[in-house]
Amino acid sequence: MTAEIELFLQQLLNGLTLGMVYALIALGYTMVYGVIQLINFAHGEVFMVGAYLAVSVIALFSSFWIGAPFWVLLAAVFICSILGSSILGASVEKIAYKPLRGSSKLTALITSIGVSFFLQNAVMLLYGSKEQSVPEIVPNIHFSVGIFSISLIQAMIFATSIGFMFFLTWFVKHTRIGKAMRATAENPEAAQLVGISVDSVIRWTFVLGSGLAAVAGALFGMYYGSVNFHDGYLAGLKAFTAAVFGGIGSIPGAMLGGILLGVFEGLGSGYVSSSWKDVFAFVLLGGVLIFRPSGLLGENLPEKV
Amino acid sequence: MMKRIAGIVLSIFLLLPVHVAAQDDTVSIGLVAPLTGDQAYIGIGVLQGAQMAVEDANARGPVFGDTRIKFVPLDDQHNPTQAVMAANKLVSDPNVVGVVGHFNSSCSKAASSIYHEARVAQISPASTNPEISRQGFDTFFRVCATDDVQAPTAANFVRSKLGVKKVVILDDQTTYGKGLANEFEKRFKSLGGEVLRHDGINQGEKDFTPLLTKIKSVRPELVFYGGVYPELALLLRQANKVGFKTTWIGGDGIFDVTLIKLATPALTEGIYATMLGVDPHSLPSAADFVARYEARYGQIGSFSAYAYDAANVLIEAVRRAGSEDREAVLKEVRLTKDFQGILGPVNFDERGDAIGKSVGIFKVSGGKFEFIEEVKPA
Repeated sequence: MTAEIELFLQQLLNGLTLGMVYALIALGYTMVYGVIQLINFAHGEVFMVGAYLAVSVIALFSSFWIGAPFWVLLAAVFICSILGSSILGASVEKIAYKPLRGSSKLTALITSIGVSFFLQNAVMLLYGSKEQSVPEIVPNIHFSVGIFSISLIQAMIFATSIGFMFFLTWFVKHTRIGKAMRATAENPEAAQLVGISVDSVIRWTFVLGSGLAAVAGALFGMYYGSVNFHDGYLAGLKAFTAAVFGGIGSIPGAMLGGILLGVFEGLGSGYVSSSWKDVFAFVLLGGVLIFRPSGLLGENLPEKV
Repeated sequence: MMKRIAGIVLSIFLLLPVHVAAQDDTVSIGLVAPLTGDQAYIGIGVLQGAQMAVEDANARGPVFGDTRIKFVPLDDQHNPTQAVMAANKLVSDPNVVGVVGHFNSSCSKAASSIYHEARVAQISPASTNPEISRQGFDTFFRVCATDDVQAPTAANFVRSKLGVKKVVILDDQTTYGKGLANEFEKRFKSLGGEVLRHDGINQGEKDFTPLLTKIKSVRPELVFYGGVYPELALLLRQANKVGFKTTWIGGDGIFDVTLIKLATPALTEGIYATMLGVDPHSLPSAADFVARYEARYGQIGSFSAYAYDAANVLIEAVRRAGSEDREAVLKEVRLTKDFQGILGPVNFDERGDAIGKSVGIFKVSGGKFEFIEEVKPA
């Protein structure tokens, strides 16, 4: 019996870890959707670029500063990938989406798919088509409390993700830009009338969303140990599912959706069949769209893509 | 006046391509492999191998008369739909007499009927799924062993040499991976072994911890993996994270040093792999090719030498046929006898499968694939 409970807890932990990563990526989808009603399909690629930046930083350190303490390395990894991805996210917005601000939503949506292909192939050409190996920088230590055991990297994923989620919630609630963001999401014309620069709000939304995706990318790379230019596609699709599941446009919804999706997939592939893993995720998406189109925590929005 | 000049200029442009085509005496050989997408890493190696064969042939002079070989590489992205599109594109060019490809079994299979209808010889360097040659197409050939040779060899080895009784089988649900895993399961059971579970994974998936946690709880002595190495690297790293230790064995899809790099030498130590034939590095007949390849492109791909052999078989057939007629080239490919490839002699049986291709068994030791034994076909 204990063995079964242990197995269940382990599977739950596996699912939660993955769910945290989904949640971080889903936040970017949901924030961008909330502000400009665009499903930014290039978001998965921003996540992937974040993971590649993490790999590059680790590689740089291993050739220039051998034996750097691992927290210095971690800080460098996070700072560089957040900065790089945020710049990338903001540039994509400026180059690809801003000129289309007045045109139909579908135009921007299709553009985002184009950007996604572009980024994938650009990374393939820059880094080559082989998987990139991520050296293990976080020691493989396990903490056990009774029958419950968690590895250091898993604990790190939890702590970092939850930390960034709190930060985002605080940011959106209490800072000037955060308030402007909420105002723009509610009514862009009215926001403009009271003197909010919608352009800068949109730019900030992309910066924040991309930064969170970079955190997810760096954690993802370190946890799984290899990254590929193709990784953004499936992870992005899953995170998008999570965002819709939680209610697209809603920040707590994206967090909840991501975590639930991870747990659902983890338990599904642990107890039913691992080959049906993607089926679980997309059946969940289908089910939500049929029975609760606005998602778990979403408000009723009249139009959707 | 302007109109007339424009008209003259335009007609010159219209005439140009015709003029070039008349002077350009070539016969085309296609190559299709995943050059972009998730398996580009392996497709590029195939492309480079075949390209070197074409360049070598042209360096020796015209293949017949004053005709030289034109190389037409296309990308199927490891996607059967794209494979069919690439095949249609090739067969619609009357100058194409044969194709080296495709790489993935799923793509080779999907495209094979198009080549068959168009009477274009198709020589795959690496598609090992047995089903492809059992469709009754006389245009399909391959220079590699099939999975009904490879996987049973692995099963024999596991059962008799390693003395393993209880295994778990994983496959990546592709035509290749599933085919390999099913052949292994069939033979292993007939040898009295017990298969505790047979699970599928999704290619491109990253998180296998739930699956590994589950497999760990049934305690297999060994895990057979039907698939390619990127997923295996993840499986090995995550098995370590969930504290699952076992012996692993896989097919030719995991035979790549990148596996050791991705999953670290420590975690790959002791892994077995069956490979079609032996390591080209160990063959004197391949030494020249391997040296030239590695000087030019770096580390040789697992299937570059196969692509080189496949392309050479096709070029040789074109040379013997001495014409651009597809049917004539096809006939000569079928008549291939003891062609001296760099990986050994090439002969085809009536289905187009390579005859006498042995299977090598390798074990990772000290960060390298070490050759253990060669199993000749029965």
